[in-house]
Amino acid sequence: MNLKSVFNSSLFLKSIFAASLFILIFISTFLYKHSVGLNESSKLLVHSHKVHLELEQLNSTLKDVEINQTGYFISRDTIFIKAFNDSRDKVAKSLKTLNYLVEDNLTQRNNLDILQQLITQRYNILFENSINLTDSIPLNAKRFNKSLVEGKKLMISIRTHINKMADLEQLYMVEREERYKNESFFTPFYSMLLLLFSLIVFVFSYFKINKDLESFKKANDELIIATESMKHAEEIGGFSSWQWNVQSNTFIYSDNQYRLLGAEPNSFVPSNEAFLEFVHPEDKHIIANGENKAVNDKESSVAFYRIIRKDGSIRYFRSIGRFLTNNKGNKILIGINNDITDQYLISKSLEDRNQELEKSNKELASFNHVASHDLQEPLRKIQTFISRIYEKESYNLSETGREYFQRIQAAANRMRILIDDLLLFSRTNKIEKVFEEADLNELLTSAELELVQTIEEKNAKINSTSLPTLSVIPFQIQQLFINLIANSLKYCKPDVDPIITIGCKIVKAKEFTFLNQNTNTEYYKITISDNGLGFEAEYAEAIFTLFYRLHNNSDYPGTGIGLAICKKIVENHKGKIFANGILGVGASFDIFLPIK
Amino acid sequence: MQNEIIRVMLADDDEDDRLFFKDAFEEIKIKTEVSTLKNGIELMNFLNQPKVILPHILFLDLNMPGKTGMDCLREIKSIDRLKDIAIAIYSTSASEEDIEETFVQGANVYIKKPHEFSALKKILEDVITINWQYHTSGLNRDNFLLSL
Repeated sequence: MNLKSVFNSSLFLKSIFAASLFILIFISTFLYKHSVGLNESSKLLVHSHKVHLELEQLNSTLKDVEINQTGYFISRDTIFIKAFNDSRDKVAKSLKTLNYLVEDNLTQRNNLDILQQLITQRYNILFENSINLTDSIPLNAKRFNKSLVEGKKLMISIRTHINKMADLEQLYMVEREERYKNESFFTPFYSMLLLLFSLIVFVFSYFKINKDLESFKKANDELIIATESMKHAEEIGGFSSWQWNVQSNTFIYSDNQYRLLGAEPNSFVPSNEAFLEFVHPEDKHIIANGENKAVNDKESSVAFYRIIRKDGSIRYFRSIGRFLTNNKGNKILIGINNDITDQYLISKSLEDRNQELEKSNKELASFNHVASHDLQEPLRKIQTFISRIYEKESYNLSETGREYFQRIQAAANRMRILIDDLLLFSRTNKIEKVFEEADLNELLTSAELELVQTIEEKNAKINSTSLPTLSVIPFQIQQLFINLIANSLKYCKPDVDPIITIGCKIVKAKEFTFLNQNTNTEYYKITISDNGLGFEAEYAEAIFTLFYRLHNNSDYPGTGIGLAICKKIVENHKGKIFANGILGVGASFDIFLPIK
Repeated sequence: MQNEIIRVMLADDDEDDRLFFKDAFEEIKIKTEVSTLKNGIELMNFLNQPKVILPHILFLDLNMPGKTGMDCLREIKSIDRLKDIAIAIYSTSASEEDIEETFVQGANVYIKKPHEFSALKKILEDVITINWQYHTSGLNRDNFLLSL
């Protein structure tokens, strides 16, 4: 797996998302805690301020108490008593507030306890002095002074104590202020961090989503085009596609699937039962077999069957499927149905015609063989009887009778040659074609040997170039040479010694349109030409026809089978033979044999 | 063999051919004892008799009703007592398949029935004067078909 696919894999994206989420939560939690801490230290700071303020308040109230007391001593006016009592209430209130404020601080609470004791003592002294005054008894100046001094001392120690408490609280305040400063210093930093990280995640997500969206859009466009062209192809090609989810037994048909069945697209819900309704009753088992194979062996197969459309017409279908596993792990058989009715009917009619042809060919061959074979038997007897009579009884016959007998014999001989040639012709077709490597030079020499008597009689000359070694049916090629050379010897000019020339060269198939073969195929072109009677060009094709003759039988006896055999032999070798003739100049035969 | 009468036998369903066969041997100046049978079944019934005097040379037509010459050939070659009889196939046709098959089955010579009486005499004379010992040892597909 390369880096890009790792980057794009959904597992990777999920991990990134989880990590981002974790980091975001972590930073947020941290920031929250930090804010809570900040809030706390600000509260503490305010708290210290309050304590400090309250202590100041207490201090000043105590001063008021003292002033009021002093005022009373001097003036003895009860207005000071009233103010004194007010101040005392204030002190009590202050102490109560302080008591509440320093509840969480052990040192300050102890300090406050001491302060309360001191204040109580001070009040006692004040109270004593006040009683003394109100009793209006002459002042015990000594005692009064003493209590005044004690009160003063006590007052000093109260102030000292308050100052001590205020100092301590001041210390707290400085400390808390420092902490608050520190904490508030990091707050923007943490906020910034959270913001930055969120931004990074956001930007990354945006690009990723954007990129995915683009590729989705592109894929979607391609999919739309592919789907359209698929639909188009299905309509033109006469095929359709379908999907079968084997687990859930649900089907999806392409539009053309409905059309192939002779229905409107989406005109019914695709299902096994719905499809089977269209299948020819005799072919339902084919579908069942295919389905069983698919369900049990998870194996797909090719099926050929018939469909009966709603209008009653029968169509020939070919189905082929392949298993895919979808992203849910379900086995899905995706397949193609092909309406092969046209091809089927064409190939069917071709097959039928082929069979017919093969049959008639066989019949013809066996007819040829049997006819000529069975004709031989009576003919042989006729000939033998003729020879018996001629030998034994000829002296009993008149001159005319002997002449007639000779004519009967000649006719019988000719019939025998005809039958022999016909037999040879039918055998050329019938005999098993065993190909083997053979030197054509040797086959030519053998052919010449067979004809040696005629060659000598006619004083003929045969010139041949070197011939190739080729995979052939040897005796047939020899027969081909014999027939062609014999032909040249037979139709020679009466006053000219025959010269037969045999040449050979390699040619390419594309040079000759009639070969109509693969352009790369090469052929041996063997030419056998003579200086004989020749023939008119218009007969070039006809002379290969069975029993076709250009000459009168009395001038040139023959059966018209020789060249037909030649043509058959060359065709057996997947070759071609052509004749060229100029009347009075000579004839030539071109034989094309493929090189393997 | 020169001093002894050569026993020749022919199995052929064609009456004319049996006639030509007998006539030909009558004109050949070699002492022969010719017997003819009408078909393969008759031939095998004859040969399977106990203590029967076997022919030296048996001429077999191939195309016979009931039991063909080929059937007879196979049967004869499978019976120890009969397998040494020299067998000449005597047929109207000389198709490659027939020649091949009879050679493989162990026939000694293949004769295509000639079209002339003189030719018939010549070929039959040749066949019975063959030194069979020599001929059989050098037998191959090329000299199997006897031609004139």
